[in-house]
Amino acid sequence: MKPAAFAYDDPRELGHVLDLLAREGEDVKVLAGGQSLVPLLNFRLARPDRLVDLNRVEELAYLRRDGDVLRIGALARHADLERSEEVAAGWPLLAAAVRFVGHVQIRARGTVCGSVAHADPAAELPVALAALDARFHVRSARGSRTLGAEELFLGFLTTTLEPDELLVEIEVPAPPAGSGSAFVEHARTHGDFALGGAAAVVAGREARLALLAAGPVPLRAREAEEVVATRGSFPEAADAAVAALELTGPDADWRRALLRELALRALERAAA
Amino acid sequence: MTWVGRPVPRREDARFLRGEATYLDDLELPGLLEAAFVRSPFAHARLGAVDAGAALALPGVVAVLAGSDLDVLPLPVGGVEGGVVADAGHPVLARGKVRYAGEAVALVVAGSRALAEDAAELVEVDYEPLEPVLDPRAASAGPLVHDHVAENALVRWSRVHGDPEAAFAAAHAAVAQSFHIPRLVAAPIEPRGAIARHEPEVDILTVWCSAQDPHRPLAQLGHALGRDRDRLRVVVPDVGGAFGSKGAVGPEVAAVAAAAVELGVPIRWTEDRTENFLAAYQGRGLDADVELALASDGRILALRAALYADLGGYLYATTAVAPHTTAMLLCGTYRIPAVDVEVVGVATTKVPTGPYRGAGRPEAAFLIERMVDIAAGELGLDPAELRRRNFVPPDAFPYQTPLGWTYDSGSFERCLDAAVELGEVERRRVEQAWARAEGRVLGVGVGMYVERAAGLWESADLRVEADGRAVVRTGSSPHGQGHETTFAQIAADELGVDPEAVEIVWGDSGEVPPGIGTFASRSVAMGGSALVVAARELAARATQAGLSVAELAAAEGGVEASARFESGLVFASGAYVAVVEIDRPTGRLRVLSVAAVDDSGRIVNPLLAEGQVLGATVQGLGQCLVEEAVHDEEGQLRTASFADYSLLTAAELPAIEGRFVETPSPLNPLGAKGIGEGGAIATPAAVANAVADALAPFGVRHVDPPFTEAKLWRLLR
Amino acid sequence: MTRQIAVDLNGLVVEAEVEPRLLLSDFIRHRAGLHGTHVGCEQGVCGACTVQLDGAPVRSCLLLAVQADGHTLRTVESLAPGDGLHPIQAAFQETHALQCGFCTPGFLMSIEAFLRHRPDPSEDEIREALAGNLCRCTGYRAIIEAVGLAAERLRGA
Repeated sequence: MKPAAFAYDDPRELGHVLDLLAREGEDVKVLAGGQSLVPLLNFRLARPDRLVDLNRVEELAYLRRDGDVLRIGALARHADLERSEEVAAGWPLLAAAVRFVGHVQIRARGTVCGSVAHADPAAELPVALAALDARFHVRSARGSRTLGAEELFLGFLTTTLEPDELLVEIEVPAPPAGSGSAFVEHARTHGDFALGGAAAVVAGREARLALLAAGPVPLRAREAEEVVATRGSFPEAADAAVAALELTGPDADWRRALLRELALRALERAAA
Repeated sequence: MTWVGRPVPRREDARFLRGEATYLDDLELPGLLEAAFVRSPFAHARLGAVDAGAALALPGVVAVLAGSDLDVLPLPVGGVEGGVVADAGHPVLARGKVRYAGEAVALVVAGSRALAEDAAELVEVDYEPLEPVLDPRAASAGPLVHDHVAENALVRWSRVHGDPEAAFAAAHAAVAQSFHIPRLVAAPIEPRGAIARHEPEVDILTVWCSAQDPHRPLAQLGHALGRDRDRLRVVVPDVGGAFGSKGAVGPEVAAVAAAAVELGVPIRWTEDRTENFLAAYQGRGLDADVELALASDGRILALRAALYADLGGYLYATTAVAPHTTAMLLCGTYRIPAVDVEVVGVATTKVPTGPYRGAGRPEAAFLIERMVDIAAGELGLDPAELRRRNFVPPDAFPYQTPLGWTYDSGSFERCLDAAVELGEVERRRVEQAWARAEGRVLGVGVGMYVERAAGLWESADLRVEADGRAVVRTGSSPHGQGHETTFAQIAADELGVDPEAVEIVWGDSGEVPPGIGTFASRSVAMGGSALVVAARELAARATQAGLSVAELAAAEGGVEASARFESGLVFASGAYVAVVEIDRPTGRLRVLSVAAVDDSGRIVNPLLAEGQVLGATVQGLGQCLVEEAVHDEEGQLRTASFADYSLLTAAELPAIEGRFVETPSPLNPLGAKGIGEGGAIATPAAVANAVADALAPFGVRHVDPPFTEAKLWRLLR
Repeated sequence: MTRQIAVDLNGLVVEAEVEPRLLLSDFIRHRAGLHGTHVGCEQGVCGACTVQLDGAPVRSCLLLAVQADGHTLRTVESLAPGDGLHPIQAAFQETHALQCGFCTPGFLMSIEAFLRHRPDPSEDEIREALAGNLCRCTGYRAIIEAVGLAAERLRGA
């Protein structure tokens, strides 16, 4: 299990990164924390021609509160999020979710933006960020654009990012005043890939709910939110959250029941 | 003061803790090249041409060898007493056909492992895919895996004793159940590996091998390579876990050894995790139909069983052992007058099976203990009470079971009493009643076991130097058990010296006397007893001279004795109690507690013995909760990484309390039995009974492991 | 196509010319010759290869050696003073928290970093901190005990 050979660049500046990503005729991959990419390299399931390593681009290494919003730079690591007092105070859902990401050794290295760009529907932070209405700032040598979660996540391990684009920052608005939040997850063992999960932000009848491992992308359960708003019932909202899910495979019936239960627990805990 | 019986911390620990241990991949040899294997992507295929042209063109690639390039025999096949075993040994590299996905087809030797993997990708192999054979119950009708093995039956064994037919006809009641015990992966944290170096000037082939002992690799490599044992040396370095999976030598080791001779260069193969999942022999894999005939008072009158073992594509030397052991232990701790047991070991197009912690014993305990609980349900009796009515009583030992083995000693009811107390069964039953009233799903289960241990022979050379220091050369070999401490404790007592004065030498066939090795929980009972015999010979000589051993050694400039200790099988036993709760909305099983009572005869080091119990119990829990090797309909292993085959972590650990009952074995001077496997044997049985107990109000009688959320959730609906 | 790197490894600067694809675990073991760091899965699950990069525990199988250029690495070989044992190592021995020993260095490097940040952990915190390292031998209970014992002694020290 050794990676196939690749060329390697570790630029110091974002501009240089974007120039490298713009090169034609090469399969270039961005290396940030590497906690998802390097296993794929080791299995030779990913075989890029070139890796562009962000780890020496200091201008991307930030996590800061900026007025009412949290700004997560491309090199902010899970551990930064986990240790941040500002995050714990202002965005407790992120603080809760990040503790489910792998293990401490993975969080020491893995980045929030990298997890989002990897777009694993069973990953914690994309789901938590979707529930928080996060905005995703994307840059390329051609320019920049900003996307919402539903515009970013396209399919299983796929985003709408172009090959020359880099997710440079995640902007997380403050949760609604007086809201509570909760993140729940079900995995076989601690730190193992999640079989299901839910992130909820609740303020009275205003609820936001996102589901993990519920389909090809991190899923915002808008129908459930609507049910909370109109009927105020968490059990009915949990029913609605899973009613439209297209789950396949031999355990689809159980996964639907699991997700319903996790959605219910997340809503109830967020409201408590 | 005696040392045996004291919880002495391990003296070998320092080198492991300081990062100074030497495992296989830590060895450095000048000019060492690295190996990678080209492995079959198909479970079953005819093998055509192997084209290594592109691979050999890569700079740094030294050689690519296929099956036809090596002048070797398949690895040897081993038999079982009273059984018929097919000639279906594992080829060193595939010849003619491949019989599992992951089977080694060609060996690449290069300057680095990365380069060897680059080259392996470039080797082109022609395959003509054939229909896979996957279900052991249906294999007799499938395509032949080996053309000369009719009905794909690699192993056949059966035994009838008493008159089971009459017993069933006259029984007050009979119960029957079918079982499926999935395959498991031993998954030592250090995968397998070997280094081979040939010295042509003396024609000595040295193989360093991550193995459970040097003796079996020596014999098996000697057979495959056609090499006498005086031209072959096997050295076992520190070993990062084995659990049975490093007992029989792998074909990759033989391939590397043959290539080192052929190419005249030293070669290392360090197995990676993917290879370990795909190609290291797996454990368990058994389907079974079992019936019990019962008297109205709960006495078991007869046992009938048909076992279908999913053996995989080839037979290793030890593949037939596990299903045979399952059959031989099916009576468990019970006196059953009539039996009719049949084993079919089936060829399937999967990686072969072999011993994995318990090796047939967990299957036996699972089957008989589940059957006893099912019988208790049928008769409306308390499961513990039904057990008490059927135990082999203490005055019956030595007790020959109708299946043929003789239990040396045991105190089965004492073990059960201790486990019931330690597991607080009465309190848990009250809790269960409350929990059920609240709609919670709680279960309590008991699992008994007997463990065949020891047997055959083992050796020890003992030398006491003039300065009083003792050197023990043992045929036994550690891979985590702590031989350097326990054997020193034994020697210290026998010689009247401090354990620090005793050096233990193991692992190098050029240094240690011939032996059998470390498996079947046999090290202390056999290797330790050989050491005792050698020491007592020295003590007798000293006594005759009117001296202590140390004085005799000083007078004679050092004294030596060698011993070969032989004994029949000894039988450890025990009783486990598990308490479980199932979360209704999600189906998640939580094991709340395990009470482990083991009777392993005399305990040399309670600290280390407890470590064995805890480790084995958690492996047993893994099998209940998460572990299962799953093959798809094409015969591909779907669980080929730690992402898909989970091991339990510290976060999942339930409360485990252990206690020892010590019924000495009369068969060896230490009175020792075996301690390495009990937890892995009894835990699945106890947890399975607890799960069935929890689900009884839902009309569920039996669930096969692993007890996954989806499975339990469906049963709760 | 190789790169020259210099890594502070246990206080000594190790320089080497490496391929970009060389994993940090292989660099430590086979280029720097420190064999205490072990490789168990190369996919970041087992934790046997855990080392400390600039003080934080990381999977050395999920880093490239080139990424460590200019950084500080600590491996198990740096823990014990002289011929002795670090308090965590001593606690492991006393509680029998290791059997085959292959996973042990990874555990030690995780625990050392953990106890620096959490000198007085609860048992649940210990279990969670250990969950990123797999042990197939011990069943974990003795390791949990060892961490508690070591924490107590380190606090007293």
